[in-house]
Formats: sequence, structure tokens, C-alpha cells
Amino acid sequence: MSDARIAPPSFGARALGSAPLILFAAMLVYIGLNAPNFLSLFTLELILVQSLPVVIVCSGLSLVVMTGGDDVVSGGIDLSIPATAVLCAGIVAQWLSGDGGLGLATVMALLAALAVGLVNAALVTRIGVTPLLTTLSMFVAVVGINNVVTQSRRIGVDHPAILWLRDADVLGWPVSIPIALLVALALYHLAHRTRLGLHMQATGGSRDAAEISGLDTRKLQALSFVLAALAGFAASFFLLARGSGSSPGTEDNLLLEMVLATFLGAAFSPRRVVTLWGAVLGAILVAAISIGFKSMGVDVFWTGLIKGSLILIVVAFGSVAQRGR
Amino acid sequence: MVGTIGLRGIFIRFGFLLVFAAFALFFAVVNPVFATGGNLMNIAEGSAILLIVALGMTLIVATGGIDLSVGIALDFGAAFSIVAMQSYGADWVTACAAGVIGGSLVGLLNAALVVGLRVSPFMATLGTFFIGSSVQRIFTNGGGPISFRQMPDGFRNLAMGNVGGVPMEVVIAAILAVIYFVVLERSVWGRRIHAMGMQRSAATVAGIRVNRILIVCYVAAAATCAVGGLIAGASIRMFTPLSGFAYLLDAIAAVFIGAALHPRGRPNVPGTIAGVLFLGMVVNGLNLMGLNFNTKDALSGIILVSALALAVAQRRMR
Repeated sequence: MSDARIAPPSFGARALGSAPLILFAAMLVYIGLNAPNFLSLFTLELILVQSLPVVIVCSGLSLVVMTGGDDVVSGGIDLSIPATAVLCAGIVAQWLSGDGGLGLATVMALLAALAVGLVNAALVTRIGVTPLLTTLSMFVAVVGINNVVTQSRRIGVDHPAILWLRDADVLGWPVSIPIALLVALALYHLAHRTRLGLHMQATGGSRDAAEISGLDTRKLQALSFVLAALAGFAASFFLLARGSGSSPGTEDNLLLEMVLATFLGAAFSPRRVVTLWGAVLGAILVAAISIGFKSMGVDVFWTGLIKGSLILIVVAFGSVAQRGR
Repeated sequence: MVGTIGLRGIFIRFGFLLVFAAFALFFAVVNPVFATGGNLMNIAEGSAILLIVALGMTLIVATGGIDLSVGIALDFGAAFSIVAMQSYGADWVTACAAGVIGGSLVGLLNAALVVGLRVSPFMATLGTFFIGSSVQRIFTNGGGPISFRQMPDGFRNLAMGNVGGVPMEVVIAAILAVIYFVVLERSVWGRRIHAMGMQRSAATVAGIRVNRILIVCYVAAAATCAVGGLIAGASIRMFTPLSGFAYLLDAIAAVFIGAALHPRGRPNVPGTIAGVLFLGMVVNGLNLMGLNFNTKDALSGIILVSALALAVAQRRMR
């Protein structure tokens, strides 16, 4: 995956490489022509608001992948972020339903997220369990803990701050959109505009080379897991706002959409690597496709089939284009 | 390391087994029922389907991949066999064959993606998982179970029968485990699979037909999971869509606990069996303690994380 070639890609490879984007554009145009109200500002707002939790967890995941390398089995991956997000949402909702204050609830959720991030980091960098396995089993454990916290109940939240995040407008747009954008921008700034971020990327690019140049790759990888858990913490508030509370079972769909969006994003990037903007774009496109098919009246049972085929088509294009170079 | 005695040496050799034993002792002390023969058979019976799925997973992980669609193959096994009997009046042997063939379709799709299109196994089987789940929803109009009360005794016996007092599902799982053990650990085929999993390019250069082996492995793994689906269908006399997903994480965990117990960290059949029995024992023991459902879930999750950490740490210290 990571063999760098100096020669520019051939025309055929470039055409194949942009195929995923063309495919998506074509699909959106098709939906736009067939669903009456799809191409409207209102739908765009709906899509963006719907995608926000995924956007945030995807940003966190792309940091982990950038630092750990893009091999899904042996490289960096963090499947526990959706579970962390759901746990934080559960803690906040449970605490608020017991007449607790939002401040303390936030602090407790933050501590829980930090704990998950630190356990992930310790298991991966100290004990040497592969990230896939670590975060998969942490997903199970964290979801289990959330079910103890919430007793697997749906907990509604009507705290003014959460309702504000859900309903408030700024210049005619839901306030949650610019806030999520700020979170993603902050992570982007960290990854691409700071020394620390470049060190993280160097670690993912070639761990050996990064170590030889004196970077503490273990510490950097540990940091990526903590940052990912914090992204989960941030996403929890968008989950609470989107669902007006916390519901059990949210984590499964969030996990699938996160993985889909992040690796879809990689297919859009010129070098086929996971990038933060690719992941964000992926998350928005996934939401657009879901909402688009729904507004076309396509049965909801079919969306999994459509999403699954999309991943496969896009990833297959990617691997064919890679070989064509 | 030869001759090292002391805590470190003991931990390195027997760490995981000691913890296994400690858990068993703890459960037995808390509830004496745990250690009775009948309950141990319960554990074996409860672990049979997971073992069958985990065997398929062991094969795929040995090739250097991962299979996220094992649950779909299991569901297809149950669905095809039950529909064959209910809608087409098939006898139970034909129904079993239909189930295994139905499950193999999932493996064929995976093989086509991994070998034909060179999609990474993670993404390919994730895609298969999405598609397979959706197909089940479409087929059952949203996920309602298909129940079939009047199933032939032959089929029902897959789950309810016994051989000399040993439940049939344990017998089937044991037979499959022996076959997997012989093929994967004691045959030329197994050597080739391991060689390929450790270093694909070296295996290709050495003349191993990597693609052909991969196709066979994906289909065989899916067919194995479909056998688990037959048993699941026979035991509850219905096909419940998407029920196979429950085995996915446990199967992965069992395979990797087993791999961590191996001297060179390879997935292997005895290790997988140890992993499956450990998970089965924990679930059974926590059940007998009469804990609240949610607490039990959280505890088994935490035990899973700790067991993995311990197994890997034990190998790293060698």
C-alpha cells in the first residue's frame, strides 16, 4: 500500500482513481432527479446534522490510522471510538436525569473517555496487543459498561445546553454544524500544521524511519488513541443532541458508518490513504446517500445492501487503480 | 530460558492456564453447581457453535486475513436449510446440504473479492457483512424470524440428539475440530496455509498456489460456519435473521487468545479450543452467580480485554 513511486500515475490510473467520486456524484444526481425535495437547502442541512457524530468519530479514527499505518489488521485502527461516544452520552444522560449538573456530568464523561483512551494506549504500546484486537474487545467492554450505567434504557435529555446544540441557529444554519466543523478543523490543524502532528504522520508512514530519526513512536501512538477517545467524548454531545438523549444500540450503526466513511474517504484521496478531510467527506456522503434513498422511498432494508456494495465497488476501484500505476 | 524457575518463569509458561484455573476455582467456590459433570457438559454444549465458528475464523486468520462475515455464513446456513424443509419439503439430509451450500455462497463472494479484486480481507468481509445482513432483512421483510415447528427428527437431532450421552452438537464440533487440527497442523496443506499467512510473497515464490488455497479457505470457513447455523436452526426450530453476529467478536477473541498461547503467535486449533472454552466458562460461571444481565455483560467484556492482554503479555515475555 505504501510504496511511493516517483513516476506520475498514468492517465488510465488517474481516471480509475477518480471513479469513486464520479460514481458518488452520479448517484447523487440520480437521487436528485428522482427525489422531489432532495436538492434543497433543507435536505442539505438535514444531511449535515445527521452526519455530525460520524464526522467527529471519523476525524478521531483518521488520526489513529495516520499514526499507526493503514493496514487494517496490523496497523492503526480504533473501533472503540463509537463505544466511547455512546458511553459518554450515557453517563451525561444518566447524570442529568438524576438532577445532576451538566458541568459535573461533562467532567465524568471526559474522565471515562480518557480512561478508555489510556487503556487502549497501554494495551497497544506497552503490552503489544494489535490495535484491531484491542479496540474490538474494548468496544465490547465499553458497551457493556454503558449498559450498566444506563441499564440498557433509553434516557431522554432536555437540558437547555443540549437542546441549544440541537435547535439553535447561527446565520440561518444549525449551530451544531459550525461547532463540529471547528472540532474537525482543530484536529486537522493538529495533524497537518503542528510539529506533533507531522511526527504522528511520520510514524504512520514508516515506523522504522521515524524511530531512527529519534521520534518516540510509542508515545505518539499512545497519544493518537487518547485523542481518538477524546473525539468520542466530543461526538457524544452531538449524539445526545441528534437523538434528544441516549439510546442503547446506537454504537453498532455508528461503528459501521465510521468504518465505511473513513475508508471511503481513503478511496477519494489521491494516494489512497486515510485522510481527515477524506473521512469527513465520506461521512457526509454516507449520510447523503442514506437520506437520499430514504426520500426516494427506497425500503430501509435495502440501505445495507447499497452501502455494502458501495464499499466494495469503491475499494475494488482503489485496488485496481493501485495496480494500474 | 531453560531452567528458569521463579514467578516470571511460571507466568511465562503457565500464565494463561493459571488464570483459567483460578477462574474455574473461583466459580466453583462461589457456586458448587459449577463444577458438577452436568454443568461442565453445559459449558461444552454452550460453546459448540462458537467453537465451530471460531474454527472457520482460525483458518482465515491463519491465511493472514480476517473474516467479519462468519455470522452471515451461519445465518445463511440456518436460513437455507429451514427454507428447504419448510417451503420445498426437503428431507433433512438435503436440507443440511442446502444449508452448507447456502453458507458457502458467502465464502465464494469473499473469495471473489479477496482473490479476484484483491480487496483487503477486512474491507471485503465487511462489505459482505453489510450485503448479507441486508439480504436477510429483505428476505424476511425486516427481520422477522422464520419458524418451523414440524422439522424432521433427523434435523432436530443435530441439536437435541446425543451419542452415548454426549450432546450431538458437541460431537459435531469435536469432529470438525479434529478435521481442522489434522488439516491445519498436521498436513502439507496446513503448512502451505501457514506459510502463506506468515509471508505471502515468499510462499508465492516457493511455488505455493496462493490464490487457489485462499479460495478453498474462504469457502471452507463459510461452509463450517454454516454447519453452526444448522445446529442453531435445529435447536430453536427457527431461523432468526442476523443472529450470527453475536458470535463474531467472541470468535475473533478466541482465535487471538489461542494465537497468543502459541510459541510463535500463530493461530492454531488447540489454542482456539482453549479460547472458546475460557469464554464459555466465564459466561456460564457469571450466569450461575445470578448477576444482573447488564452487569454480567460488562464483566465478561472486561474479562475478555484482560484475558487478551494477559495472553499477549505472556507470549511477549518469552
